[in-house]
Formats: sequence, C-alpha cells, structure tokens
Amino acid sequence: MKNRILIVDDSFYMRTMLKNMLTDAGYEVVGEAANGQQALEMAAATRPDLITLDVILPDNTGLDVLKGIRQDQPDVKVVMCSAVGQEVIVNEALESGASAYIVKPFSEEKVLEIVSSALQEGGSTEA
Amino acid sequence: MKSREQEYREIFMAEALEYYDAMSRHISELEKNPADAPALNELFRLMHNLKANARAMGYADIGEVAHRMETIFGLIRDKEKTFSGSMVPVLFTGVDKIGEMIRAVGESRELPSVATLVNNLDLLVKGEEPVLGEEEEVDADEDANRKLELSDLVYIQIKKLDHLLNLVGELIIDRDRILTLSQEIGSPALQTAATHLFRIADELQYSVMDARLVNVGSLFNKFPRVVRDVATAEQKDVELTISGEDIQIDRNILQIITDALLHLVRNAIGHGIETPEDRVKAGKPAQGKLALSAQTERDDVLIQVTDDGKGIDVESVRRKAVERGLVSAEAAGLLDPGAVRAFLFEPGFSMAKEVTEISGRGVGLDVVKLAIDSLGGQLRVESVLGQGTTFTLVLPTSIAVKGALLFELEESSYAIPLMHTDLVVALWPDDLHVVGGMLLAHVFGDNIPVVPLRALLHGSEDGPLPAANKEDITGRQNIIIVNYNNRRLGLIVDRFLRQQDIVIKPMSKPLDMIDLFGGVTLLGNGQVCLVLDVPALTRLFLAKRP
Repeated sequence: MKNRILIVDDSFYMRTMLKNMLTDAGYEVVGEAANGQQALEMAAATRPDLITLDVILPDNTGLDVLKGIRQDQPDVKVVMCSAVGQEVIVNEALESGASAYIVKPFSEEKVLEIVSSALQEGGSTEA
Repeated sequence: MKSREQEYREIFMAEALEYYDAMSRHISELEKNPADAPALNELFRLMHNLKANARAMGYADIGEVAHRMETIFGLIRDKEKTFSGSMVPVLFTGVDKIGEMIRAVGESRELPSVATLVNNLDLLVKGEEPVLGEEEEVDADEDANRKLELSDLVYIQIKKLDHLLNLVGELIIDRDRILTLSQEIGSPALQTAATHLFRIADELQYSVMDARLVNVGSLFNKFPRVVRDVATAEQKDVELTISGEDIQIDRNILQIITDALLHLVRNAIGHGIETPEDRVKAGKPAQGKLALSAQTERDDVLIQVTDDGKGIDVESVRRKAVERGLVSAEAAGLLDPGAVRAFLFEPGFSMAKEVTEISGRGVGLDVVKLAIDSLGGQLRVESVLGQGTTFTLVLPTSIAVKGALLFELEESSYAIPLMHTDLVVALWPDDLHVVGGMLLAHVFGDNIPVVPLRALLHGSEDGPLPAANKEDITGRQNIIIVNYNNRRLGLIVDRFLRQQDIVIKPMSKPLDMIDLFGGVTLLGNGQVCLVLDVPALTRLFLAKRP
C-alpha cells in the first residue's frame, strides 16, 4: 500500500513542488494545509503516515502544530521543512519528536531519501 | 521537464508578487508602530518564504536580500533591535528592491544589482551604521510624487467570465428581438437606436469572447513531460515537436479537449509508434516522431496529433466492422478508406482487443469523439499503413456563438451548425436516383444518401424509413449536405433562409428526450428555432435506413 503523506506549508509554490516530488515517487499525498489550524484538522481527518511540516506558519509556529499532532497521533512521522536560519527551532522540533528535517531549498533526492528513511523508522514509538 | 518548470515559475511569480504587496503594506504599518508584533511576524514569515522559494528557483540575489531582511525582522521581533534610525530607509529600500527584482524576473530582464543593499543589511545585522546613498535618501518630494505601479494584468476566475458570456448571450437574443420590432414598428428614431445597439452588442460579444481566449501552448506545454513518461513506460524512443502554441482558443474548449488530447498522445506512443527495434527493421529511424500542432482555419482551430508509427490497417478495420454487424459485407467493400476508419470512433468498436493488436489502435477513441462532439467540433483521422497516423480536431474558437444555417420545414424555422454543413444544393428529380430503396444524389463525384428531413423527424419510433420512391420526388429539392464522422448525408428541407450567428441554449426536458436537437435559439422575430444535432441525426439515419 502506498504511504500517505500530508503536506503543511504556507507557500503554494513549496506545496506544489513537494507534492510533485512525492507523487512522482509513488507516495499518496492525502492533503495540503496552508496554516496550523488546517494542519491539525487535516491530520486528524486523514490520519497520514507522514507529515512534512513547515517551521514557520502564519497562525502558529510549526512547533505548536508538531506538539498538537503528537498528542493526538503519537505514531505519525513528522519531517520538518525549513529554510536555513531556523536551526534553533528545528533542534527543538527534533527534541519534540520530529523524525528529521529538510533544509529548503531542497533537492528531490534529499527529500525522497529523508521521507523514506523516516517511514522506515518502525511502525510505532515502542518498536 | 519544460512544462513543470514553467508551472513552477508561474506559481513562484504569482506568490512572490503577493508577498511583495503584503511586505509593502506591513512595513508601512511598522513605520506607524515600530513594535507592531503581527506586522513583524508577517514580515519575517514572508521574507522566509520568499527566500526559500527564490533559492529553489535559482534566483540567488532575491534569496540573499530576503535572507538578510528575515534576520533583521527576526531581531526586531525578538526585541534585540528596534525599527528606527538609519535602519528604516535601508529596510524600505530592501522591500523596493525585492519588488524590482520580482518584476525583472517576470519580464525576463536582468536583475538589478543588490551589492550596496546586501552590504548595508550585513552592517545592520552586525549592529553597525549602514552607508546611506542615493537609494536610501529620503526625498520627501520624490516619495510624495512616487507613482504607484499596478500590474497590467488581472487574474480572473473563469466562472466570472462564464457568467459574463451567458449575459452576452441573453443580450444578443434581446438585441435581435428589438431590431426586428423596430423594423416592424417603423419608427426611424427607434431603428437608429436599435442599429446602434446591434453594433455595440456585437462588439461586446467579441470582446467577451476575446477575454476568454488562451494560448493553445498553455496545454501543449504540458506534453513534453507526458510524452517522456509514457515513452519511458512503453520503452519507446519518441521525439516530440510542438508548433502553433500561440494559436488562441476559448479556455473552456481547451479544458474539455485536455483528456482527449492526452488520450490521443498516449495512443500514438503506445500503439502507433513502434519499438526502436521494429522501426529499424522496417527501415525507419529508431526514434519515432510525434507532433502536436495547432493552426487556424477560417473561424476554426485545428489541432493535430501526428505520429510516424505503423498506421491503421484499413482492411482489418473493415473486416471488424462487418463482423460486428456495423455494416454489411457488400456495403463495406464499397466504403472508401476514410469511411472505414470512421468506424474506429463507433462506441465500443475500438475496445475490441483483437483490433487493438491488429490495427495498432487503442481503446476509447469513441470517448475522444464524444468530447469533440459535445463542442460541436469534428474529429478526423488520416493514416497511411506503415507510415503513420494523423488525428485532426476541428474546434470552434468559441463555445458561445456558432455560425448556423437557418432553414424552414413545415413552416417552422430550424438551424443547423455550419461546422457540420458541407454544402447546400438545389437538385432536380433527374439528379436523384433510387438504389435499394435509398435515395442517392450524385454530387461532386460522390454518391450521397439523401432523406427528407421530415421523414427523420416524424418517422415512427422503430422500424426502417419507408423505401424511397422516385415518383414522390417532384420539382426542385433543397438539400443540405451534412458531414459527420466522414459520412455525408443529404437532408431535404422546404426552404433555405439565411446564414446567421446564433446563441444556442440548452433545451428543457421533454424536448430533450427527442435527442435530435442540440438546443434552441431565439430568432429576432421572437420565434423559437430548434438547432439540429447532426451527429444524432446521422446516427438515427444509419439505424433506420431502408
């Protein structure tokens, strides 16, 4: 079965690029959220296997979204996306349970490599 | 890959311009209230996004400026710096420069130099005094006189244009009505006003139609990627050439033919073009050629998909058509290759697996045909066995208004779209012959079946048409020769009226069930006029011919 991915990014450009990369690689993109509120709603509604999460969002930071999703779905893999300059937040995100982070601008190979290794981390946190 | 890059570029531009507008707004808010937290957060976020997007697009300078601006707005937000002093003009210049750079990208111009700005932003980050030059000089006069630049382009939802076009359609009908009334009433003043209204409405109609036109290239340019993907999957080597990208067509028509074109291109690669080995064996270059082209012909747009693959085997299609009972063996033998290839568009015909293998043509051409029919267009196919196939889509430029021929039958007016009208002739009984119960007209070296339209419209629901009798034909016969799917058919009508642009409206339910009419139009005299659906008429004739 195809792995299901939710994309969270406030830039339509970034979402389009990520969606194309992931779809071309055979993943199913189950939704695209443009802000934190949407991200939480769509994560709850679609129960994805993995979420790509932008660090900076219009309504709240990606960090808050990460924590919100973690409470609800402890097993979902989260890959943080950020342009350089936000390393502090990214470190905090990794400590809060994100699987990995991708630095924008990203290459297709890098994205796919990180997404696939995050998905292989094991089915649950206990594993 | 070109298509996707172009798509990315368009999205980047649209979003970057949006960001720039928002940045300009927020930095002005900051000038009023230097600690405006929401404005600072937004500026930070917008710079961050612009930086990431610009770098992904390879616009390094935009990325450099946005990166430094992001850092500074971050520092102000975190209260490590304040928006004051020499920082203010530098940041304003930064936003201006970003706008300039984005516009330069949009116009494919060289980007302006940002060395001074970048240097100043670096100094600000380090907490040093920037070097203010001409760029940052606060010239109150100049600022006050600064011209506001608005884009010359507006983006508009197609829904709004659809609505506009519908309104124009209504207007045209009322206009014709008023013009006719003014002639009946005979008031010169009213006639002058009506004539003026006629001209204005005409111009309005063409302006609205024009606003809906897009370049065929916006669809064609998606195909390099499709061709690459399909060719890879099918293990074919295909070179795609595209021409006529700047031909313009109604956006909704382009939308409707998207799947059809995708289908034809997939078919051409999957079933038309041979594998490199087979091509070499057949004495062809290993790399197959596929061409997508557009051109205008009178008021129509022609879109062609041409491959140099193995072509269509007419004889196997002919055999299949007989086997499937679509035509008698005797009649099939007489059909010319064009008429035989037309069977490929019969519903379900091309679904047959054997045909796919034998003729080298894939599934679902009937679906393509239906899409083109729904637009009142024509689909043609030419093919030379062993050399290749060309599919031609003949499409109207606009969906709203169609050229039509008006005629009279039993004192009612009918219209028939010009797209399906080949010829209008008046023939005497001597020009008509009865062969096997069917009336044939010999026109331009072609034997065309002829049928009185009233027999088709009023005939009993089932059972064949009554056999033609030469003695029933007396006097001059007015015949409209229609063409659908390579089949010509002559329709005998009472009287030709005129040629006119009509606005076709869908019909209400009860009449709709008759299915022989594509819609109705209102004439200037207020009379309702039924618009004949030539594909449906042709099918009915084929089913009921004696």
